Amino acid sequence: MITLKSISKAFEHRPVLKNVDLAIGSGESVFLCGINGVGKSTLLRIAAGLLSPDAGHVEICGRDMTKDPEGARLHLGFISHKSMIYDDLTVLENLMFAARLYGLPEPRRRAADMLDEMGLSGFAYDRAAILSRGMLQRLAIARALVHRPAVLLADEPFTGLDGKAAAHLTDVLQGFGGAGHAVLMTTHDVAAGLQCCRRVIVLHAGSILFDAATEGIDPVAFARDYVTYAGGRP
Amino acid sequence: MRYFWMSLGAVFVKDLVTELRARQVLPTMIVLGMLIVWVLRIACEAAAGSTAVIGPVAFWIAFLFSGILAQERSFATEQQHDCIYGLLLAPIDAGTIYLAKLLVNVVMLCIFEVIVVPVVIVAFNLRVGAGWPGLIVVLLLGNVAISSVGTLFSAIVQLCRTRGSLLSILVLVVLAPVMVPATFALLLMFGAIPAELVGTGALAFVGTFKAAVGYMVAFDVVFVTASWLLFGFAIKE
Repeated sequence: MITLKSISKAFEHRPVLKNVDLAIGSGESVFLCGINGVGKSTLLRIAAGLLSPDAGHVEICGRDMTKDPEGARLHLGFISHKSMIYDDLTVLENLMFAARLYGLPEPRRRAADMLDEMGLSGFAYDRAAILSRGMLQRLAIARALVHRPAVLLADEPFTGLDGKAAAHLTDVLQGFGGAGHAVLMTTHDVAAGLQCCRRVIVLHAGSILFDAATEGIDPVAFARDYVTYAGGRP
Repeated sequence: MRYFWMSLGAVFVKDLVTELRARQVLPTMIVLGMLIVWVLRIACEAAAGSTAVIGPVAFWIAFLFSGILAQERSFATEQQHDCIYGLLLAPIDAGTIYLAKLLVNVVMLCIFEVIVVPVVIVAFNLRVGAGWPGLIVVLLLGNVAISSVGTLFSAIVQLCRTRGSLLSILVLVVLAPVMVPATFALLLMFGAIPAELVGTGALAFVGTFKAAVGYMVAFDVVFVTASWLLFGFAIKE
């Protein structure tokens, strides 16, 4: 579903990613971790088509991001710690807008269904500006999933969330991966990342250092070992 | 094609609704426009200048600066909560985003013109007479020129995190070639240039009213098309 082939990227001649290869299949959820500045967000933004790699190419559901960007983006959902929500639109309008951007046939109905699913129906006609951080993140998730994407990219989605909101997001991510879709996420919360995903990848010095199934990994030991090895917080 | 119109409509309606709800741009534009007209009217009186000359100039100064003010906001809302990524992640062509933003800026400037044009006409005692269609065409062409340049450079300045003050400099420099025929057309319309002087002096290259309008049409077509095609590159990080 997601194929990243020989991705390299440098910022002002400082290499961030060096020849990274990554393939994520249907039903796979991958937790990408690494110290600050190692290139996790850069890799995600390249996968989303928001940033062009210096070398290599990206395929989403068989669509090449360079040759057919619209076709590739059609299958992509993106969640980040920033909501991508307009303060001056209502909660329902925000979702209807997203649904229209993806050409959905009944944007109002689809938006209302998503609000039901996320438990935001009671706020449908309120301006998004009044939502709490947790509710805003739920709306951001609804926005990312409104067009039923096959691939979900999540960049630090747990930032600023309280326990309840984080638990809800964990459910959503686990459910999405379990439904045969693909997930690629980054977070500094190692326990949450290992809980949400079935595979973990450690990015270090621009390359993939470690790639394994999360099953059986102890989050505390993993975080400790990583800190010892990489010399920084994962 | 249906999808193009749907996404264009979605971005256009979203922008118009957010602008009208926030009520940030239009009131500021109107206050600035009125201030410019008022100052020029006083200057005209003090210097005993011809109202037929200063009036058309007042039109363009008010439109130009109020337009830049509106266009500065064009992509500011997209910066909040990284909303621009929501647009760039959607399966729409960057050119469609440009066209939708351009349309919103044209509409905002049209609303502004509906309010300010009668004020300028009354303040400078301009006689439009049967010239209304010509006046509307010239103002609309000028509106499209200001909006097309402003929308493109607003995106570059805001999204590339360049300094905001650059917008005015870039827009004013690029718009200079179209402001000459635009001013000339209105000066001719209000009889500020004697018939015997048409085709001579600094404005000789513009020629007649028709030629001035032709220059404006050409500028609009070239700039809107080029911006539509180049917008994707302009906003790419």
